[in-house]
Amino acid sequence: MWNYEKRLQYPVKITQPNAKLAQVIITQFGGPDGELSASMRYLSQRYTMPFNVAGLLTDIGTEELAHMEIISAIVYQLTKDLSMDEIEAYGFDKYYVDHTLALWPQSASGIPFNSCFFQSKGDAITDLTEDMAADGAML
Amino acid sequence: MNFKMSTEQENMLHDISVVDFVTVEMAEYLDTHPMDREAIEYFNHYMRMKNQMMRDYAGKYGPLSLSVADNSCKEWKWALQPMPWEGGC
Amino acid sequence: MQDYNFNEYFDRFPLAMAYVPWQHLTQIYEDLDKAFCTGTIFPELTKPFTGRRCVK
Repeated sequence: MWNYEKRLQYPVKITQPNAKLAQVIITQFGGPDGELSASMRYLSQRYTMPFNVAGLLTDIGTEELAHMEIISAIVYQLTKDLSMDEIEAYGFDKYYVDHTLALWPQSASGIPFNSCFFQSKGDAITDLTEDMAADGAML
Repeated sequence: MNFKMSTEQENMLHDISVVDFVTVEMAEYLDTHPMDREAIEYFNHYMRMKNQMMRDYAGKYGPLSLSVADNSCKEWKWALQPMPWEGGC
Repeated sequence: MQDYNFNEYFDRFPLAMAYVPWQHLTQIYEDLDKAFCTGTIFPELTKPFTGRRCVK
C-alpha cells in the first residue's frame, strides 16, 4: 500500500527549456540504471529477502519512486511548451513523433524501459550485489 | 498551468522537504538498526516536527497529504492543489 | 536479537562472498539544509561523484 504526498522530494524549477539535455536526463527516468528500474528492482527483490532487509528494500524502493518523480519533473520542464522549430533544432523530433511532449520511459539512446534492466534472483547476496552495481553506479 | 508561490509558502515547503528528508534517512537507517535508541529519538523528534509543519501548511495553503486534509468546508482542497511537477514545489 | 557487532569480524567469514561494513550512528549533519543538498544526513555516507571509486 502506498500514500502520495503532493510535493516533490526535491524541488525542480527550470526556467530555460532544453530538449537536448532532456534526451540525456531521460535515461535517469527509464534507462537501465534509472529510477524506474531502481524502484522496480527493489520492490521486486524484497519478497525473497530476509525479514529486516525486506523492510529496508521496501523503504528504498518507495524512495526511488520519489526520485523518479523528480527526474520526470526535470524532463517535463525541460521540454515544456516547445515550438516545432525548437523541437527540430534540439534534435527532439525523433522522440516527438512517437510521444509528443509526453513522458515515456526510455534510455538516452532510445531503448524502451525493460525489466531486463534488472535482476531478481531470490538470493539476498546476489540481489544486493546487483543493487550496488545499479544504484551504486553513480556513487 | 503555471503558478507562483509566495516566499513564505516556498520556505514552508522547503522546511517540510528538509525535515521529511531526515525522517526518510533515519527510517532507512532504523530498518537495519531497529534497536538504536538514539536513532529512534532522532526519528521521533523530526517526525513530530514534520507532522506539525504539514498541518500548518495545510491550514494556510491546502493539504500536501490526504491525512491532513480538512474537508469540513465545501470544496475538496486536495484536488485543488497544484501538481508538484509544474515548478511550484 | 541479532548481534550487530558480529558482522565486523570479517576474518570469520567465508571467501568468495560480498560483505558490507556495519554503519554506526555517530552524528547527523548539524546543517540540515546542507544534508538535504548533499543527499544524506550521515557525514560518513557522503560520497560525491568522482567518476570511479578508490578516489578520496
